[in-house]
Amino acid sequence: MGDPRDLRPGLTRRAFFGMATGLAAFPGIAAAVVEDISPTKRRMFQVNGYGTCAETPLDALTTYLTPNDLFFVRQHWVSQAPDLKTWALVVDGEVGAPLKLSLSELNAMPQTTVTCVLQCAGNGRGFMKPVVPGVQWKFGSVGNARWTGVRVKDVLLKAGLKGTGRHLHTFGTDSPPGKVPPFIRSLEIEKVLEDGVIALKMNGEALSAPHGAPARLVVPGWAGDHWMKWLQRLSPQPDPQRGFYMDVGYRFPNKPGDPGVTFKPDEMHPVTELFVKSNISDAPKSAKVGQAVTLRGFAFSGAPDIRKVEVSADGGATWKNAVLDPEHDPYAWRLWSFPWKPVAPGKVTVWARATDSRGSVQPKEAVWNQSGYLYNAWHSAEIEVTA
Amino acid sequence: MKPFRPTPVLIGLLIGGTALAAGWTQYPKTTPETSFDPKLPAFGTQLEVLPDGVGKETADKACLSCHSTDLLRQQRLTEAQWAASVNKMVGWGAEVPEEKKDELVKYLAFHFGAGNDRFQPVVTRPLGR
Repeated sequence: MGDPRDLRPGLTRRAFFGMATGLAAFPGIAAAVVEDISPTKRRMFQVNGYGTCAETPLDALTTYLTPNDLFFVRQHWVSQAPDLKTWALVVDGEVGAPLKLSLSELNAMPQTTVTCVLQCAGNGRGFMKPVVPGVQWKFGSVGNARWTGVRVKDVLLKAGLKGTGRHLHTFGTDSPPGKVPPFIRSLEIEKVLEDGVIALKMNGEALSAPHGAPARLVVPGWAGDHWMKWLQRLSPQPDPQRGFYMDVGYRFPNKPGDPGVTFKPDEMHPVTELFVKSNISDAPKSAKVGQAVTLRGFAFSGAPDIRKVEVSADGGATWKNAVLDPEHDPYAWRLWSFPWKPVAPGKVTVWARATDSRGSVQPKEAVWNQSGYLYNAWHSAEIEVTA
Repeated sequence: MKPFRPTPVLIGLLIGGTALAAGWTQYPKTTPETSFDPKLPAFGTQLEVLPDGVGKETADKACLSCHSTDLLRQQRLTEAQWAASVNKMVGWGAEVPEEKKDELVKYLAFHFGAGNDRFQPVVTRPLGR
């Protein structure tokens, strides 16, 4: 049961199926939908019917690539996707030659593909104690996908990026209701030049409207608030962007206090990198003494890779290494499995924790913060063991 | 606290229609119907109403123009937290007459207060199905 191949039971059939249907570039996609996740698990949890927010049930997050129709969505308000016929990406600000790129022009530029995790900054907010307001996400506002499009670097260099362009201001086409401030972000130019992508495709398919069609920003290793959807303008500027969603929203305490202690915006900084985290997505409800069962899950971080995932059946006193699946890309998640043989009857809580390639270890308790960002406490599953 | 028994309604058909118009059907049609339970509602099409009580009318008008009831029903906030949320939303344009604000906060804190453990997300089909 320790064979890491167990994690991908449909591999051979999947590859065959992909080639047979002309999806050789991404042989996992179609079959990942049909074969790897059972129909009873292919569903979504709706947490806001308009201002669309839905999370993926944890037991469906068992494949390396998360199928597009099971990939979480989060919108601040009721949004309209842009008209693809008239849509264009504007590049202005600290550049020598401002650009206006149509979708066909973007498609004609050199394309790149990155495979990485997208996680909502608020994933796990529902577990924060004391409780904080907002969408009470549990486990599933996260997924792993292949994102294909144009490097931000290529677009900015084409526009003649100036040295004074230190912060990339990003804008989408969605407009808020009433007096709600617009959703805007900015991020350091070094990060976007390194690996930022203007994604046009997700898992080999054109982006869907709820996932940001026709273009969204991909920022590997960073929280979803930077992954601007319905992208319409990139503007390098000397300073960070100002506005509610930079100055007040999406900020994390510089020096977190005890749970319940709140901070002023200037005592916090923008949420950027994800925290190291693993979840158990597949565990049996029951097991028998002496008979091995397999626990499975996924792990990811704001660091490019996961060094190890460990499992404890004694509350964290001792840990054993799980088997990491070899399939991996920078900032993607690692699937893992762990063969566990119960030694005594009773209700057993098994825990998982991850360590990333920089040595950061998933903590027993998450850092409480007033907006409920980046929850990453150890995750557990309860198994009833009988003789 | 009185029991909260939401009533399913289908006003979501309207929302579903809006979603379709916005291009939500872009997902490939190749996925067979057997790959999910077709008895499940499509995303956004089955919503639940807010519980009856003094303040419901204000909540319907002020909150539901931007959020489905799901978002309210999942909150577990103290009266002070609800007051802060209401003030934030009023600042952003939510229509709450000044004389109704206290009533609204008390309504929300009563039904969706710190002890609210009744919320279960609506289980829907995969997106776009």
